[in-house]
Amino acid sequence: MSTRAAIGQRLKEFEEREIERILGACTRCGKCYEVCPMAHYSKAPASDSKAIVGGVHAVLRGEAGTPEALGWIGVCTRSGVCVPACPENVDPKMMMRLARMTALGGRGLPAQLPAKEDPDYFDRVRAFAKLQLSDDELKDWT
Amino acid sequence: MSEQITFWYGCNVLRHGDIIHACLDILRALGYEPAPVGGVDYCCGTVKDANQTAAGGMATRTVGKLNVRAAPVVVWCPSCHSHMHDFMARANDRHFDMTYLVELLHAKRERLATLLVRELPLRVFVHQHIGFNDLVPVNRMVPEILRLIPGVEVVEADYVAPGYMCASFAAIPQALEDIHNNTARSARAAGADAVVTVFHQCYRELVGLDAAGAIPVCNYIHLIARSMGLAYEDEYKAWKRAGEGAATLIGAERIAKVGIQFYERAILPELKKRPKLLNSDPGS
Repeated sequence: MSTRAAIGQRLKEFEEREIERILGACTRCGKCYEVCPMAHYSKAPASDSKAIVGGVHAVLRGEAGTPEALGWIGVCTRSGVCVPACPENVDPKMMMRLARMTALGGRGLPAQLPAKEDPDYFDRVRAFAKLQLSDDELKDWT
Repeated sequence: MSEQITFWYGCNVLRHGDIIHACLDILRALGYEPAPVGGVDYCCGTVKDANQTAAGGMATRTVGKLNVRAAPVVVWCPSCHSHMHDFMARANDRHFDMTYLVELLHAKRERLATLLVRELPLRVFVHQHIGFNDLVPVNRMVPEILRLIPGVEVVEADYVAPGYMCASFAAIPQALEDIHNNTARSARAAGADAVVTVFHQCYRELVGLDAAGAIPVCNYIHLIARSMGLAYEDEYKAWKRAGEGAATLIGAERIAKVGIQFYERAILPELKKRPKLLNSDPGS
């Protein structure tokens, strides 16, 4: 494997194992969606909590997600209320994070959600460092 | 002899040099010799959900750099801490122990209490989130730390915000607006004089409430620092309050370091941004 291809490979392998585990353990009971404090902010709120989890699974498998599933994935901010609500210890917070990465195209599959990356993000961090730290601190700490 | 540690502060807390400097003084006063590292070259990669190749590369680089330092790592940023726990350490060989700063301060609270000598007569509302609390019980620990400060009273919070902190809400403006309004309303209803944040991301957002005149806002480190007699100026709050006039406070020399065009395009809008408050009277 070339050096470039190897970049991030262990992370991707871990994510694939996690997705396999989640798909095998989740029974689509829908409890995670029912307790989610962010669900009502979705552009496509769902009435069927079991179906929406099925849509999230589809995204994890690299298939097209339903509008409801993509809407929920798009508003997940890792509240974590879903974790203790899950009767199967699936870790729905991890499930949703991986679904988000997948839906954004981060795992190499076609993007289903727009990636709204801030083009100034890292330059802004560098700029604030210059505004807040001395030249010596910049050199030694960053 | 002081214990050497690496203080991994993260990226976005660089808006708040006073918080970084105060943390270092607090750690030194508790008997540590902290080596601070952070910024873009130590990014955890959590912001790269849309590019896992980049995220993986950043994680491997940062874990490698922290490994080389061969010292326990104390983490400031909740994003870095949770990303290390959830992803970075699962896909890299981590050779260092890691503690979140709140955990360390709580574990050392008896010694910390002896350093908190200045009275701060203040009723504070601690702004809480749900998500990170499972990894580190900050919603219990931070109020317990604050109660060590003479004069500080922590009021009971009847509002816990969704999310794991006030980040990742850029695409969900209504949720952030609700957090602003619910936080201000709950704090005032509880009779609080001020809102105290745990995370810098929340501070960056909620200090807008302060700038809008709704309620004073600070981070818990600010209160510890003030009680210890540390005199770092919260420049970010001053800039935020000044808004358009922040350039005068920052000064031409510092603005020249980042470039006037970049300042006006990428920094000034953040300093001018104010929360949308439901009530027309911001302080009511």
